[in-house]
Amino acid sequence: MRAEAENSNKVERRGSVTLPTTLPEILRKREVLKKELLQQENLVPVRIAILGGSTTSELRKMLELFLLANGIKPAFYESGYNRYRDDVLFENPELWQFKPDIVFFHTTWRNVSHFPDLLEQEARVEERVSSELARFTELWEKVHSELGALIVQNNFDLPNLRLLGNLEAAQSFGRVNFLMRLNTEFARYARSHSRLLISDIHYLAAEVGLDAWAGNQYWYNFHMAISPAATLALARNLAGMLQAVYGRSRKCLVLDLDNTLWGGVIGDDGVQNLLLGRDHPIGEAYLDFQQYVKDLKRRGILLAVCSKNERENAREGFTHPDSILKIEDFSAFKANWDTKPENIRAIAAELNIGLDSLVFVDDNPVERAVVAEQLPEVAVPDVGSDIASYAKAIERERYFELEKLVADDLSRSDFYNSNAARTVAEASFADYGEFLSSLDMSAEIGPFLPVYLERITQLINKTNQFNLTTRRYTSAEVESMASDPDWITIYGRLADRFGDNGLVSVIAGRVQDKMLQVDLWLMSCRVFKREMEFAMFDALVERCQELGVCKIVGVFIPSKKNAIVGSLYASLGFLSAGAKPNGETRWEYVVPRSYEPRNHYIRRSANALMAVASA
Amino acid sequence: MTRSEFLLEMDDILGLPPGTLRGNEKLEELQNWDSTSLITLISLAESNNGVSLSLQRIVDCSTVGDLLQLAQVDGAVASI
Repeated sequence: MRAEAENSNKVERRGSVTLPTTLPEILRKREVLKKELLQQENLVPVRIAILGGSTTSELRKMLELFLLANGIKPAFYESGYNRYRDDVLFENPELWQFKPDIVFFHTTWRNVSHFPDLLEQEARVEERVSSELARFTELWEKVHSELGALIVQNNFDLPNLRLLGNLEAAQSFGRVNFLMRLNTEFARYARSHSRLLISDIHYLAAEVGLDAWAGNQYWYNFHMAISPAATLALARNLAGMLQAVYGRSRKCLVLDLDNTLWGGVIGDDGVQNLLLGRDHPIGEAYLDFQQYVKDLKRRGILLAVCSKNERENAREGFTHPDSILKIEDFSAFKANWDTKPENIRAIAAELNIGLDSLVFVDDNPVERAVVAEQLPEVAVPDVGSDIASYAKAIERERYFELEKLVADDLSRSDFYNSNAARTVAEASFADYGEFLSSLDMSAEIGPFLPVYLERITQLINKTNQFNLTTRRYTSAEVESMASDPDWITIYGRLADRFGDNGLVSVIAGRVQDKMLQVDLWLMSCRVFKREMEFAMFDALVERCQELGVCKIVGVFIPSKKNAIVGSLYASLGFLSAGAKPNGETRWEYVVPRSYEPRNHYIRRSANALMAVASA
Repeated sequence: MTRSEFLLEMDDILGLPPGTLRGNEKLEELQNWDSTSLITLISLAESNNGVSLSLQRIVDCSTVGDLLQLAQVDGAVASI
């Protein structure tokens, strides 16, 4: 399994072209970069409709570049200038034929139809908020029901002129106040509609600076609502969002130690002399960076150490009384004298994640260059050498963007840490079966439940290794599978004595003429070799028996990463039913009247939620 | 930046072989020319010089030579 992960890393070419960070560099090299980026393998094709309230061609070009750098190959539809409403309301056939996966509404404060009048009563302003919101919900609902696409909607930036000065923010009829109210309502809508994501240009405009964001000469010349510098920031932001939607966000932060997590060299200076703590400006900056890293861990990013140090010295650093990070925060710890690329490979293998899930942070530009050169899949932000700007350099690239935060994200490091405990336990058993028994595993397995749809979608879009078809689906598609009586959907959660692994496996397929065509079958690498695939198959057969399904048909579509499941169907007793030149194989299984379960180690537990629902 | 460096940069932006542009071409007759190219060149000129260009100067651009001027390239005015 590990060898498999390593092999797949060698062929994954994502990240081999690094985009420059400044606008002039990007503008100069745009065409060359695009050509290089198009050479990458494994690009995910995505159809994006940009519906603009202003000119969008510059944004499209910039977005294309950033998406390619994130492993996504976009095809674009672009509305005419300020046709974002008409295209949807009057169902522009070109847009309808384009069948977008994503509809992006690039609107700004310039697209607000009516700002409040001066001294307008608060109640009247509230009516305006509602009617302004209705102008947008009308579009969103139509896109959802007719096009089924995921919507990305800008909230509102602020104009760079303030007629009423500071009153703009305080009075309900002030423009600033009004736009903030609209932003609150957009966010409220997004919270209750998982198919709409807010692109927070209110924040981006502040980050870029309102004057630089607005770039008035571009408005008058080209009717671009935002400047090229702003367009760059927005494109980077959108690419980060879509990277999350398509499960390509990074998962693990790999950190150097000396002058990265603390000031000084622990081997030379000793733990007592490290710069770390509120009593020194540099020590305080390191402390804040540690806090940032700890916060990333809290929201589900794995942490690893990769340091050239004696192991004991390296560990001692975390005993510093001010250290916010503790040794147990790290899911992998490599402190030795091997090269960094070797250690980073080892970290990826140990955590069983691809190199393209890693971000490497080191204060030493030579180490950064070596890693970037030898492991192009690993993201290596140019953090410079000033501790005060490390966090910002990581943030800028939106490596860890997420579409939704789900409970499983928060306990991710626990999964990996308890995996380490499982590995230790495994070593103490001579017989693998005894080890599996000792795990005392229980699984909750059943048809997709609304409460799990986000996690199921996340798993479908992130899983590469144990994935028979590598088909990706949006949450709307998953939702419609779940409610379609012609579909069989099964999820599985697995827990053992070391902890809860969460929702780790999904099967979905469509029944037609008493035959089930398996469309999806995947499982998280966290639970390989635990017989969970058997437990899932047992549940599938059981369900087929209940529904009178006679035959199960499965396909294996080979990808660069899923060789591990190439013989899964054969091992379950399926018979080969043909192969295509691309390596795709087809398998058939006749559902028996009496079936002997294949899983022997996992107990089926009752589904608490189902019980509640049926009660 | 010299005049020839600027012309090479423009070749690059327009995806033309290096040395294609001489400086006297009309913008709208250029292969691959579109408003995005102009946007690119204006923002490059702004970044190179660290200033905002006035609306009038942008509006007045109709030849590659005008752009050279816009970018305040050394010696550009004299040589066109």
